[in-house]
Amino acid sequence: MTPAVISLGPGRAPARRMASLAATGRLLRLELKRNVVPYVLPLLAAVFYFDTFRTADGFPPVWTVRASVIGDHMLFEFCAFAGGMAAWAGSRERRRKALDLVASTPRAVWARLSVTLAGTLGWLLLAFLAGVAAIYIPTALQATWGGPPLWPVFAGAAGVIVVTIIGFACGVFFPGRFTAPLVAIGLLVLYQAGFREALGVTASPGTDALLSPASAVPAVDAGVYHHVAPDVPITQVMFMGGIAVALLGVLALAAALRQRAPARDRISWRGWPARGDNWLLRTVAVVLVAAGVAASSTAYSLAGTAKLTATGWEIPALHDAARDRPVPFVPDCRSAPGGFQVCVHPAFSGYLGDVAAALDPVAAEIAGLPGAAVRAEQVASVGTWPHGYGPSHTAGNPPVLEYSGEEVGDLFGVFWGIPAGAGPDWRAGFQQGLLDPFLSEPPHSAAAARTGPAPLGAAQQAVEDALMAAAGSPPPLRIGQHGHSGGPSQAQITAAASRFASLPASARHAWLAAHLAALRAGTITAAQIP
Amino acid sequence: MIATAAALRPAPARTAGAGRAGVRLAWLHVRSRRVPAGILALALCGGALRAALHWHWAFSSGPYAQQIPMIIEAGAAAVVTVTSHSPFGETERATGRWLPYLRLFAAAGMCGLAIALLQLGAAGESLNEGILVLARNVTGITGIGLLCSLVTGGLLAWTLPLGYLAFCQYALLQGWTAPWTWPVRPPADRGAWICACAVFTAGLLLFTIRGPRTRLSDEE
Repeated sequence: MTPAVISLGPGRAPARRMASLAATGRLLRLELKRNVVPYVLPLLAAVFYFDTFRTADGFPPVWTVRASVIGDHMLFEFCAFAGGMAAWAGSRERRRKALDLVASTPRAVWARLSVTLAGTLGWLLLAFLAGVAAIYIPTALQATWGGPPLWPVFAGAAGVIVVTIIGFACGVFFPGRFTAPLVAIGLLVLYQAGFREALGVTASPGTDALLSPASAVPAVDAGVYHHVAPDVPITQVMFMGGIAVALLGVLALAAALRQRAPARDRISWRGWPARGDNWLLRTVAVVLVAAGVAASSTAYSLAGTAKLTATGWEIPALHDAARDRPVPFVPDCRSAPGGFQVCVHPAFSGYLGDVAAALDPVAAEIAGLPGAAVRAEQVASVGTWPHGYGPSHTAGNPPVLEYSGEEVGDLFGVFWGIPAGAGPDWRAGFQQGLLDPFLSEPPHSAAAARTGPAPLGAAQQAVEDALMAAAGSPPPLRIGQHGHSGGPSQAQITAAASRFASLPASARHAWLAAHLAALRAGTITAAQIP
Repeated sequence: MIATAAALRPAPARTAGAGRAGVRLAWLHVRSRRVPAGILALALCGGALRAALHWHWAFSSGPYAQQIPMIIEAGAAAVVTVTSHSPFGETERATGRWLPYLRLFAAAGMCGLAIALLQLGAAGESLNEGILVLARNVTGITGIGLLCSLVTGGLLAWTLPLGYLAFCQYALLQGWTAPWTWPVRPPADRGAWICACAVFTAGLLLFTIRGPRTRLSDEE
């Protein structure tokens, strides 16, 4: 008898394993079929459409910007539903008073819980990936440059996984009718609190707020001129993954303890770790808890070392300096008949026509005059939201107007929104961005040039208004220039602008050529303008 | 004569007995709905609101300032709606005519208690938009939850309030002014009050008359 058993053992083991796998597969199929998540998917889809999809649709078709909604909006919705639904699934055995019933089945507690968790997580991840596809497919059709960033997807998926496992663990440990809504609400509060911290994160100590998957909206050209460093998403994935792994271990340990509980009176606790049954499960559970805690602690420590650079947040231990090189590109340019050239980054080529239509008329008015820009070129925006971005400026010889996708003149959020939405104010903002540095005193240093032109005087304002009126634009909105104390009133400036605008273009050009230096120096008054 | 006297004399005792029975019935009703645990959960929400305001988890001004209070208010409303679930299911409906009244007073009472406990939690702290918006949010979202309970049953009645909450987060940031997005409207907005009260009234009435959907598989 014994030799037979011994001889048959090795042959039967693979078959037993196959049968066990097949049974697990059947169980998982049943779980996927019976799981409650699909019933909530229509509601989740509706919320996703109104919040995430519409928000992404309002952003310019730049990959990094569109992908930012995954952490900022999509994860919020998944926090609510994934956490609550997972808690609901985790408390199922208790809720249906089936604990005694399932305890008599050959499946271990851990195996049963794993299948329930896998089914819930499977549905939620499927919904998450479908949501990502709903964002990325239209972006792929609209974007003119770049490719889909994957790290926001990984961080988002890690967020969904950790939220699901937290909810599931709460459902297992605290089964009750209030668990699911309270878990959902708790996770939402946690998410929002993390978001608040992430918005206010600075380079000073306290950069651990970078672990929050929700953060400030990136600059419109993020990831366009320089690669977005994956340092922060890596720490986020490590942190959330660590929590998820540790909770899995806790669930496995709890399952092992629950299985062991009836035998508490017969076996001493001292011998528990060495006990034959389920020793592998217990060992794996302890390893999971230790690995998860280690990963999360490491990620927390790494986030504390983050530094803010021109290209974004960097974590020295993870940073790859080779990725700091600018991304090569060939700008999209268009030349006007007068020779003025407008260039945009190919990621924003949809805006080229609007920018050229805005700048060409005023560029023609000042063409050939000293200090007049011969080209307008988009450059990388410098700065962060909400602290502000660097202003546009004219630099070089021949002069070139350098503007960013975030700011030109007094116009902010230049390339936010869909092309062809350019209104009169938008055009006026670009024209002001070109004329302000032309009409003001040239900066005396490169550093001064990058701070933008000085505020215009009354005569300079009148000339600017006239040139813009000649180009068919309204007078620009002047931030911080609401009249001149002791100088001419706004009515006098408007009258001077009207006079100058009514002159023929050649007369305006000739007057400017003759009086430009005095105008820039501020020695000409509004009354002296013809 | 003996029969008449017998019929007249025990009357006061019967009234007292009926009163005791009514109290006992109400107590059994709220216990079967886990109302005591629900009150504890509401107190937890009040504590969370206090902690959020005290430690500045939320923004102090701007559209973001309303987010965390709104989440907690929706959570309190979800707790109220979850107490609508009955463990007895269909059989309870055949037990007498008092069930709709019990449902009405339990739901309305829990809603009032939720507002009171949240207000208690916010006392002494600077709550964005004040108690009026808090009361309006809890009332309206409870109405949504009670309506949801007619379809999903009490235990899953928290899903629609959370969906509405997620939508309102978007409406808040986009500055929507539609009255049916009452959580994002100012305290004195009449349309928002009308919408929130209408939803609550409709939810409470239908819940009182029909009761939540019952399924045996959802027994707790």
